Amino acid sequence: MIKNYLRSAWRNLKRHKFISGINVLGLTVGIACCLIILTYIIKELSYDTYNANAKDIYRVTRIFKANDGSVSLHLSAVAPPYAHLLKNEFPDIKKVTQIYPIGGVTLRYKEKLLNEKNAYMADENFFDFFTSNILKGDAKTALNEPYSVVITEELARRYFGNEDPINKQLLFDNQLNFKVTGVFKDLPANSQFHPEILMSFSTLNDEKVFGKKALTNWGNNSFYTYLLFPPNYNVAHIAAQLPAFIDKVMPGGPNNHPSKYTELTLQKFLDIHLKSHLDSELEDNGDIKRVYIFSAIALFILLIACINYMNLSTARSTLRAKEIGVRKVIGAQKKEIITQFLSESVLIAYASLMLAVLATWLALPAINHIADLGLSFGSLLQPDIILAIALLPLAVGLLSGVYPAIFMSSFNPAKVLKGLFKAGSGSLSFRKVLVVTQFSISIILIVATTVVLQQLKYIQNKSLGLSKDQVVALGNGIPAETFDAFRTDLLRDPSIREVARSSRFPSDRLLDDQSMSVMENGKLQPVQADVKYVNTDYGFVPTYGIKMAAGRNFSRDFGTDSNNYIINVAAAKMIGWKTPNAAIGHDVKYGDISGKIIGVTNDFHFESLHQDIVPMIMRMPAFGKENFSKVGIKLAGSHASAALKTIEQTWRKYQANTPFSYYFLDERFQKLYTAEQQQGTLFTIFSFIAIFIACLGLFGLSAFTISQRVKEIGVRKVLGASVPQIVIELSKDFLKLVIVASVIALPIAWYAMHKWLLDFASRISISVWVLVMAGTASLVIAFITISFQSIKAALANPVKSLRSE
Amino acid sequence: MIKITDLQKYYRTEEVETIALNKLSIEVKEGEFVAIMGPSGCGKSTLLNILGLLDDPDGGSYLFNSIEVADFNERKRADLRKHNIGFVFQSFNLIDELTVFENVELPLIYTGVPASERVGRVEKVLDKMQIMHRRNHYPQQLSGGQQQRVAVARAVVNNPKLILADEPTGNLDSSNGNEVMELLTDLNEQGTTIIMVTHSEHDARYSHRIIRLLDGQTVMENIMI
Repeated sequence: MIKNYLRSAWRNLKRHKFISGINVLGLTVGIACCLIILTYIIKELSYDTYNANAKDIYRVTRIFKANDGSVSLHLSAVAPPYAHLLKNEFPDIKKVTQIYPIGGVTLRYKEKLLNEKNAYMADENFFDFFTSNILKGDAKTALNEPYSVVITEELARRYFGNEDPINKQLLFDNQLNFKVTGVFKDLPANSQFHPEILMSFSTLNDEKVFGKKALTNWGNNSFYTYLLFPPNYNVAHIAAQLPAFIDKVMPGGPNNHPSKYTELTLQKFLDIHLKSHLDSELEDNGDIKRVYIFSAIALFILLIACINYMNLSTARSTLRAKEIGVRKVIGAQKKEIITQFLSESVLIAYASLMLAVLATWLALPAINHIADLGLSFGSLLQPDIILAIALLPLAVGLLSGVYPAIFMSSFNPAKVLKGLFKAGSGSLSFRKVLVVTQFSISIILIVATTVVLQQLKYIQNKSLGLSKDQVVALGNGIPAETFDAFRTDLLRDPSIREVARSSRFPSDRLLDDQSMSVMENGKLQPVQADVKYVNTDYGFVPTYGIKMAAGRNFSRDFGTDSNNYIINVAAAKMIGWKTPNAAIGHDVKYGDISGKIIGVTNDFHFESLHQDIVPMIMRMPAFGKENFSKVGIKLAGSHASAALKTIEQTWRKYQANTPFSYYFLDERFQKLYTAEQQQGTLFTIFSFIAIFIACLGLFGLSAFTISQRVKEIGVRKVLGASVPQIVIELSKDFLKLVIVASVIALPIAWYAMHKWLLDFASRISISVWVLVMAGTASLVIAFITISFQSIKAALANPVKSLRSE
Repeated sequence: MIKITDLQKYYRTEEVETIALNKLSIEVKEGEFVAIMGPSGCGKSTLLNILGLLDDPDGGSYLFNSIEVADFNERKRADLRKHNIGFVFQSFNLIDELTVFENVELPLIYTGVPASERVGRVEKVLDKMQIMHRRNHYPQQLSGGQQQRVAVARAVVNNPKLILADEPTGNLDSSNGNEVMELLTDLNEQGTTIIMVTHSEHDARYSHRIIRLLDGQTVMENIMI
């Protein structure tokens, strides 16, 4: 029976090549989009699954609360004492491990001197938590001894070539020698962090590095702390005891209730990549929302393709009516007719799958090139995914085919065989609903794409209140004692305008704060909200082109500026000064240092536009005591390459033992929006595809509908209708549907994109013109699509059509 | 074999109700060859559709082999149809996408005859209809007469007790028409009951009895000698 169905289906496909082609093309493109998006989803969901312990690992995070109880900071790392205290307090915790990111280091082996990144201090049980392949050395002991280091295979090759790296010495930052005790295979791309250098945590005990006392500092929340629990352990009851634990162990004791201002939380290791967006994550994480959005887009595109199939199949049901009638007359039951048409749609879906797999394989490199997503066709080649893909056409075929099958199986054979059956009469209104659905989805995608691209453009062009262009950011810091000479040498080159040091580069997060008080009526009054600080020097304001709203910049002409402060307008407002000028000259205390406010800058976006501008304070404590490792150099203009040459030469003069490295600040800002750029690119691609498939369906449907009206067109022409009148007559029914789709889709699109924009502190508002444009564009595209057929029909000689009738 | 009593059928539009069959009563015995004649719109085709269980009556009784079938649901009607009734149409109604062999094979597929048995049965009937040499051709590659022979082959391949023929020679020239009538006569002589709607007095003369309809009622019955 099935053989008969498939044979009949195949011959029907061959016989009606135009409609079949549109159906297969639509489903192919739709399924290919699904497969491409599937590779993205697989990639995102696969993060950290390589880790055998992943299910049982939790990360400890720390929340800081403002006086009103609101969360002012949620860090993904905690202070160093927590690790062993947690282990002591909760015996159910099997193991605890800490890592401390060092970031960039300079490594030397013999004559090889290179900058490296992704260096971490790691506990000796690191490899008990993070599954990795130790190629040399012993995973159990490699990180036991102070000054031991385990490096990746790639790093070992870079420094040691064919030599055995074990027991070789690497010089870190020209200061400390570490012995290589192990080599491990790089963690996979789908790991939430990618250490290349693991230095033994016990090294931190050395006074030259940190010292034991520093490891009891509750304020240094840079230690990423992971807990390993027994399998399927319910951590909720431990989480519930954490406030009491804090009160018990933290300074101040239970009477002061430190848990009022700080909290610990336990975060599932497997949730981190997609669900954690805390301050100071180890690497940029993905976002589960993006996974949902793209899953929805995949389903929408597939739905549009399925609707094409439904529409075209029901529209051309007249062509199959006789066959159905005959089959019923000779004994076919309704369910057999339904089975036949479902087999046909499933067959077409499988044919489309074959082509879609090929299309995916061909398209992925191009998509990776455009959107830099690192998607892999190979990720589809897993048994469970292959099974899912193999079942997909079954679902698509059934979804596409069920309505046409039920519709056609209910034909009355007596009527269809007498030719009394009219073209798709019963299904016309359902087809209208389907066309409206297709165009609604397309219009939503047009609006989404436009808004995403507009927001990206806005981000790129928005005045940040500082100048990020022509600023070179150095990859390494420079010692305080040589900085002035270094700066003076650089400024001799007219292509270099200014040099600045700071504790953070603009584009970094602002995470550091201390308590602030303002002198009022001879008494220091604490400021209730957080004021973030950046250590800066004289050059910071001019280098980054920050405008003063009142007062002055730090100046070498005033010997006391190291005790003075500059704040931004947001801080002035928050403290309660009505104008920037009102802040000038006030006595304040920030941390331990009392001084005056000497300047107020206009607000500027130190952080990404995802963040609001927060109150901040710039201070200039005595150099050398604080971290000033971020050196920014403002270039004068168009001679960037000459300036870079000068910078490199000067660097070598003062920092011969540290390789020169740099990047441009604007590139760093650009990188903050990589995810949005990828999203924008993918939205654009998939919107075009969705519209293409919808138009493909409309093209087929209009071709068919117009072919049913050939006689009517002939009569109208004979009676004097002009070509434009006929084109309008033939198009208006379809265009009405697109208008209805606009009315439905535009409010939905507006709402969805309004929600999306809320993720940005600085954002566009959706202009009504975007909505008008999307509606108009879909109308124009639909009209052009229909015009191919309607103009042809309107230009046809009526004599022919009337004679053929 | 067939007994209809007071059979009624109406066609309704929003404004008009047309009576297609007006309390029609007919009996056809097993092995009979009955022709139904009458002007266009007299209810011939409606009657044939109801007899073939393709349409429901609005009233009256329809006994098929002494079983009341007027109130059968679609599944039961399809079941009865495929085992007992063969159809021959004026416009042949072959499926264009299937070959001659496949068209004739189709009723056997729906009655669940195993594939091995189907080949023999189809070949036998094609042979009998003298169309075997065209078994792999598609309908559009055949002449009208050949197509109708295929349609007759398809109607008889399941050995139905009843063949309903709706103007079987309407689209054929007289020579091909006569051939088809000969085929039907042969089938009838072998025991198959035939009810044929026709406009042609010539074709009607092949039957045993002519029932003439007008406005959904029997107006005359002629026994052919």
